[in-house]
Amino acid sequence: MLIQPRPKRSLLETVLLFEILQGMALTLKRLFSKPVTRQYPDEKRQPFLGFRGKHALVRDPQTGESSCVACLRCATVCPSQCIYIRYHEEEGSGRRVVDRYDIEALRCIYCGYCAEVCPVNAIVLTESYEYSAYDRQTNYFDRGRLLNNWDAFVKESGHDPVAYVNPFWRPRGVDEATLAGPRRRKVPEEWTRAGQPVGRLCRSQDSEVLAEGVQR
Amino acid sequence: MALVVHMLILVGVVLLHVAYATYFERKVIGHMQVRMGPTRVGPLGLLQPIADGIKLFFKEDVIPGCADRTLFYAAPIICLVAAMANLAVLPFASGLVLAKINIGLLFVFAMSSLASYGVVLAGWASNSKFSFLGGLRSMSQVISYEIALGLSLVGVMMMAGSLDLSEIVAAQQQSRFGIYAIPQFLGFFVFVVAMLAETNRAPFDLPEAESELVAGYFTEYSGIRFSLFFMAEYIGMLVMASIATICFLGGWSGPFAVPHVPFFWFAAKIYGIMFFYFWLRATLPRYRYDQLMSLGWKVLIPLALLNIVVTGFVKTIF
Amino acid sequence: MMGTEFRNLAVPVRDGESELFTVQMGPQHPATHGVLKLNLWMDGETVVRCDPDAGYLHRGFEKIAENKTYAQFLPLTDRLDYISAMANNVGYCVAVEALLRIEVPLRAQYIRTMVAEMARITGHLLWLATHALDIGAMTVFLYCFRERGLLLDLFEELSGARLTTTYTRIGGVRQDVTARAMEKLARFVEEFPSRIAEYETLIDTNRIWLKRTKGIGCVSAEQAVQLGFTGPSLRASGVDYDVRKHRPYCAYDKVQFEVPIGVNGDVYDRYRCRMEELRQSALIIRQCLEQLPPGAIVADNAPDLVMPLARPRQPMAGSSLATGYIELVPNNDVYPEGDVYVSIEGSKGELGFYFVSDGGGRPYRMHIRSPSYIHIGGLATVCEGVLVADVIAIIGSLDVVLGECDR
Repeated sequence: MLIQPRPKRSLLETVLLFEILQGMALTLKRLFSKPVTRQYPDEKRQPFLGFRGKHALVRDPQTGESSCVACLRCATVCPSQCIYIRYHEEEGSGRRVVDRYDIEALRCIYCGYCAEVCPVNAIVLTESYEYSAYDRQTNYFDRGRLLNNWDAFVKESGHDPVAYVNPFWRPRGVDEATLAGPRRRKVPEEWTRAGQPVGRLCRSQDSEVLAEGVQR
Repeated sequence: MALVVHMLILVGVVLLHVAYATYFERKVIGHMQVRMGPTRVGPLGLLQPIADGIKLFFKEDVIPGCADRTLFYAAPIICLVAAMANLAVLPFASGLVLAKINIGLLFVFAMSSLASYGVVLAGWASNSKFSFLGGLRSMSQVISYEIALGLSLVGVMMMAGSLDLSEIVAAQQQSRFGIYAIPQFLGFFVFVVAMLAETNRAPFDLPEAESELVAGYFTEYSGIRFSLFFMAEYIGMLVMASIATICFLGGWSGPFAVPHVPFFWFAAKIYGIMFFYFWLRATLPRYRYDQLMSLGWKVLIPLALLNIVVTGFVKTIF
Repeated sequence: MMGTEFRNLAVPVRDGESELFTVQMGPQHPATHGVLKLNLWMDGETVVRCDPDAGYLHRGFEKIAENKTYAQFLPLTDRLDYISAMANNVGYCVAVEALLRIEVPLRAQYIRTMVAEMARITGHLLWLATHALDIGAMTVFLYCFRERGLLLDLFEELSGARLTTTYTRIGGVRQDVTARAMEKLARFVEEFPSRIAEYETLIDTNRIWLKRTKGIGCVSAEQAVQLGFTGPSLRASGVDYDVRKHRPYCAYDKVQFEVPIGVNGDVYDRYRCRMEELRQSALIIRQCLEQLPPGAIVADNAPDLVMPLARPRQPMAGSSLATGYIELVPNNDVYPEGDVYVSIEGSKGELGFYFVSDGGGRPYRMHIRSPSYIHIGGLATVCEGVLVADVIAIIGSLDVVLGECDR
């Protein structure tokens, strides 16, 4: 498709500065429209669920501790290698006990992979985004700080800590069966397949071609 | 003694005006761009200009190592003095003028040309390539547009028969339309365009074109010296708006007299023109340097000459 | 002279043709879009020679990729062309899937098409905003950001981040779209053409804009091909080449759209081509919304994020792996050997990923063909003999992003 040339300006339009006046009319109109500014520290923006913000370790309501099992999947997958885990194995049972769980938030690139690969939903990137600091130490999160981050997040956001589901734990539109046992949590209606919008053409009768494509 | 008091009042009022013209500009352009402009300092951001002034005043005054210090110091002062000297001859209302001289209009021209020396010297003295280009651009721009500006006002002089600004207003009040903008519409148009170029405002803000020359001739200036340039620019705008008001829009006369405030209509018209300045800045892109020159020499000057010829003819016939 | 050191001032004195005025424009300059540096040799205001100097934002992505698994590198593609990160995600995943031979489900293909077009709109809006600002029309800048903000909000709703989206996954997309987001998107697409008209009111026919853009920085079709231009910069010169049409990926062969082609190859035509592309993108998104089929969003044979490495990693002293190293399955059959080059149409031009795989879990070599790098290379030719103000207009019209150029 060739781009269409604009009609040439007529002499009258040139003399009357027609297009400049049009532009000025637009800016004048916008002078009286509502500004889109958000006055940040006064009006805070509510991030969408699943926003990748400050790190936290989920505090298990039963034990009061983190549910991390030291599988090291997060430390392995982390592209910037900012997660440090130390653990030892319990005598007898062979259960892994986490000694240290540190996240260096200043190295993190916030991809959310750690929360995504965690088999027990222990780590989460919360929706809290205000944690700038004057020194590097403040944003070096050890296990205690990570648990506190979770408490602070629950308190601030008002989420029910038991019912909270992060989209990185339980992606929208992914089948229950493909997830590991501890990851299966009850999710809002719109996250399930039934709640998903489907194209208008697909629902109508003449979409057999597309439907076939799906089956294939 | 009374003269000194008058001067102090005038300078005080004008500096306050300059401060709030920046506020007005930021608010107007802000809202045209669907944002808010200053809001944080004081109610509605009204103390913003004061805060800016304090900041600029106490900011470190950096002078480039290889700058020519004498000229570097002198340049902003030349600019500001030249701009402020104009204020003496402007009649804000009937009889409300510091120095009533019979060549007021010529004086304004002389002073506004002088201001360009400051700009050129600033560009030269900074010893910076961007400043230097800005200074050169400003020089050629001012030379070209000074001519168009002067010629556009010749029609007014012919109609009023005087160079005294107060008498031009008085003559205008007795003319058929009350303002010269209608019979002198061609001159008015040329004047408005040349006025924008003369004060280095959009769409002719080439000497300080930020996307090309960083900040043009005052790239290397900081702190109080920067603010002197800034003030000079805004006072220049005020002076040009006043000349437009006096020569084309009927000065202080209005549809009805406002009691106790003789300069009401004058101020209202000036602010109207200032708003127009900001409005254009929010709307138009910037000309290129050579296009600006060809516009000045090939369009505006012939138009202004045509205006003089037509005015002369009409004046001889009627 | 008051005891000051007044050393020689660089004044452009014409001494035959030998003395030219050199200006280093950038890397800190308001109009060079990031950290582009141009060494300009000027005769007065005319540029005699222009020598672009890239590399100020070099982060060694191609080398990093050799030490990361395919999945681990994905978040880094957000930082290539950070203006339209979604398109990079899509391009990277399409390339990796071609290497690993993964078939992506149809729904995911449509979602990818949709987000890639949204990324194109965000990219073009930012281009228009900065291009107009460079030429002095600063109001357009804020109007564009108003609409861009809406799309970034949608990105956040879909992926959890406004800019560094990391939305696609090898074999599909991270998560399904939500009804609410799609309603918002439909509303946006409905309204967007009127917004484009708004930007055009301010600049499209404006005589100053036309003077600044028409006939400036002309690139003929042959020249554009020789310089390796792609995307709208190539099409404005009249060459009909669009990866979406000629080597369709995702669902581009299932939607209908037209590719705008320019005539003169000047700044104005590049501007018009991109404006038409904005309209076409809105059309594609609308079709995707209508056609979006039900189904899975991730392929059955998609690899896990923790991708096994063919050769086990050696634990490093002091790292978390030193205390407890988990055995990943070493399997040489997982990754095919060979090389693959796959390109997509990013908002700047043809964005290609080239992998050489030796069968290990990481690319042996990876190369990113970034359009911005090639366009910056072309600046040397295009900017010869123009005025310094035109250099700004040309940089703007070629739409370069330094994150992608230097990578």
